[in-house]
Amino acid sequence: MWLISGLLVVLVGVLAVLAFMYVLPLDSRDRAPVQPISFSHKKHAGDNAIPCLFCHRLAPKSTVAGIPAVADCRACHLFIAQNTPEIKKLMTYWENKEPIPWVRVYSVPDFVYFPHKMHIRAGLNCATCHGDVASMERITRGVKIKMGWCLNCHRQHKASIDCWTCHK
Amino acid sequence: MDRRTFLQLSGITAASALLAGCKSANEKLIPYLIPPDEGVTPGIANFYASSCRFCPAGCGILVRVSEGRAKKIEGNPLHPVNRGKLCARGHAILQELYHPDRIKQPLKRTGARGSGEFKTISWEEGLDLLTGNLKTLKEQKSPGSLALLTPELRGTLAELTTRFMRSFGSPHHLSFELHSPDWLRLANRQNYGQTGLPFYDVAETRYLLSFGADIVESHLSPVQYGYAFGKMRQARDTVRGHFTYIGGRMSLTAASADRWMPARPGSEGVLALGLARLILAESLYDKAALASSGLHAEELLKGLRSYDLPRVAQETGLAQAAIAEVAREFASTRPALAMAGEAVAFQSNGPESVRAIQMLNVLSGSLNRPGGIYPDAGSPEGPTNSFDELISLVKKMHGGQMRMAMIYGDPVHTVPPATGFQEALAKVPYLVSFSSLLDDTALLADLVLPDHAGLESWGDVIPMAGTREGVIGLMQPVVTPLFDTRQFPDVLMTAASELGGEMKSALPFPSYLEMLRADVKKQRAVSGSKDFEAAWVDLLRQGGIFTSNHHQSGDYKWSGGEKIPEPAKPRFAGNEKEFPFNLSLYPSTAFFDGRGAPLPWLQQLPDPMTTAVWGSWVEINPKTAAELGISFGDLVEVTSPQGSLRVPAVIYPGIRPDMVAIPLGQGHHDAGRYAKGRGANPLQLLAMTMEGSVLQPSWNATRVRMTRISEKGELVTTGHPQGSYRSDLIEI
Repeated sequence: MWLISGLLVVLVGVLAVLAFMYVLPLDSRDRAPVQPISFSHKKHAGDNAIPCLFCHRLAPKSTVAGIPAVADCRACHLFIAQNTPEIKKLMTYWENKEPIPWVRVYSVPDFVYFPHKMHIRAGLNCATCHGDVASMERITRGVKIKMGWCLNCHRQHKASIDCWTCHK
Repeated sequence: MDRRTFLQLSGITAASALLAGCKSANEKLIPYLIPPDEGVTPGIANFYASSCRFCPAGCGILVRVSEGRAKKIEGNPLHPVNRGKLCARGHAILQELYHPDRIKQPLKRTGARGSGEFKTISWEEGLDLLTGNLKTLKEQKSPGSLALLTPELRGTLAELTTRFMRSFGSPHHLSFELHSPDWLRLANRQNYGQTGLPFYDVAETRYLLSFGADIVESHLSPVQYGYAFGKMRQARDTVRGHFTYIGGRMSLTAASADRWMPARPGSEGVLALGLARLILAESLYDKAALASSGLHAEELLKGLRSYDLPRVAQETGLAQAAIAEVAREFASTRPALAMAGEAVAFQSNGPESVRAIQMLNVLSGSLNRPGGIYPDAGSPEGPTNSFDELISLVKKMHGGQMRMAMIYGDPVHTVPPATGFQEALAKVPYLVSFSSLLDDTALLADLVLPDHAGLESWGDVIPMAGTREGVIGLMQPVVTPLFDTRQFPDVLMTAASELGGEMKSALPFPSYLEMLRADVKKQRAVSGSKDFEAAWVDLLRQGGIFTSNHHQSGDYKWSGGEKIPEPAKPRFAGNEKEFPFNLSLYPSTAFFDGRGAPLPWLQQLPDPMTTAVWGSWVEINPKTAAELGISFGDLVEVTSPQGSLRVPAVIYPGIRPDMVAIPLGQGHHDAGRYAKGRGANPLQLLAMTMEGSVLQPSWNATRVRMTRISEKGELVTTGHPQGSYRSDLIEI
């Protein structure tokens, strides 16, 4: 008898730990991965107040927001902070003709159709989904992109919640 | 193991599984190094109109291109031939572009012919070799020893090759395709006085009678006719067109018919004449049409006297009642349409049989009428005797008169070896191939100058027999060429300008694109004089030049006179005792004549009737199979007077017991990893029949015998064809 109850306790314990680990994102590698260059959004978007769309310029016209080409980074940094170690890294990438292998932080599964375009045109602030990027040294995902979270917002804004809106 | 260890172990396992799950699965986000040109927006697709050159039907396509990569092909809704529809082969040409075994730059042979040992060379070196060899021929005053082998070309490509060969001084340009409709042009010339191809108005007809014309799979313009067939059946409120199919094998087209009449191979002409006799005897013909064709029923009847019902029934192996019923239905339904197809044309008596079938259209008054047959305005006149040209070229190559051959396409795979072509080609000292895969022809070549894939090419595609409207489809590159390849016409032009003199003045264009633009400008000059640059962009956007006015001038008029076509008794290679079965080779739905075999999508496309994939097979009637002790999937050796091969058996009720059928298209020596060594090429079985001392293109007139080898045929099917086509449902 004590054997069965002991096993049950262990099982419940393991499940509890699993659930705990699932709910509490203890592992930060996924939400705030180390990037190849320690690019600071705080410096760019916060201190220097560069608008998001200056670099992520595809957001108003495409499904993706787009990340700046290496040539675009270089265009500014030929004149700004040329001698810091991170910019030297950037220039090495450029000289080797290699793109910077950024690590993706935000993604939706491929069965979800998510166009940035529509959300920008609806007047949503970037921070609504991406959080206060302007204060982040390293980009960190603040929200869990789950369907319920999408639906909540769609309901609040009276956007379509038809299945085909996103799953097509 | 005690409990403690067990618990420890399971704890460790759970933890490690958990840790593995935690490993960051984040993808990389790779930016451009340099932002792309205007027009490319990541995440937004562009759609480009182009044309498909994979088969002669020449359908219009729309290609979805994102981030500079072609992703998906659909039919072009504006194109008059396919109206937005597209066949499986058209969808699959995407894989021609991305094929992993594409030849990436010119190759020069280093090993023995056929060994596949090549070294890569630069285009400068490749073009030097090409022009060097051409110059040598010129200097030796033997320009006539150059041969150019291509499929049937139309439009600017035909113009360019003709000018090239003429200015070089060689008459040896062979345009040969196994299934080219030479036979139809020939019959049209004899019966209707013009060599253009016909346009069958299937959509509007009420009674369709097909003699071996597989219109939904391969005959002339399958997408167009498939679409029209659907309209014939379902687009009219009160009429559902009737369809009777005549032919010994149940093709996909035959399976779509209301009535299947498995006539004995070679007897179709007799059947057509038997139908004609009944229609005339019972006065069911269109009297006005007959009079305007200058025909008299009594005269015709005299000529047809011998084709009485018992004889026709005996020769075709069909029931008298069924034949009479079809004759009455065909003649009393208007409009009615009779078509002849490859299964008939490539018999020893093919030409006369086709003429006999065409005569039915005169009796039912179907010339130049809705639901009948019109001259096709799109395609220009083509060859009517390319087979004879092939044979005479083979003789010259065999006699050592040809010193160099430039080959576009893969004739080594698609020409039956019985013509002696492969043997003769081996005697030509210098072979140049323009293939983009190392196919059977390129494998033998001394120099390979790889062509662009279709989606990287410029061109004009004039559709064959699919429309009454004047159509010139345009091809434009939808992506930047992936590899260091060049378009075949551009290579010819470069060679011409290197050789200089007369050749340079015959082709005074800086590039093929300029030639194409000049040609389009000329075509447009007739219909309008807008600013050309704007008009050109409009045409490219639209997918080609589509004129809506029907071709008026050249209506069909019977010119066959009152002489009745006389299909002779069919002759077959191989005597009946030793080789008891008629062999039928049909173009595979997926591969056509074999050009589709390198594309894996097409390899895994199940054959619509047998559901077989990734291989060859032989279709055998259950009765025959039972007699020979062959069961489904057994390995069978098929032997003809010409050769033999081993393929798995498919027990198939939809075929006459005295017939067997093998699909064309497999059995490549190379042509990339998906086609290499897969299945067998049944063309090696074909023996030619002789008319006097002249060889005939009788691809359907060989007899074979079969022997069971083992039970290991390694046949792969995706369904259970025996279940869907049970013998008790099909009466033969």
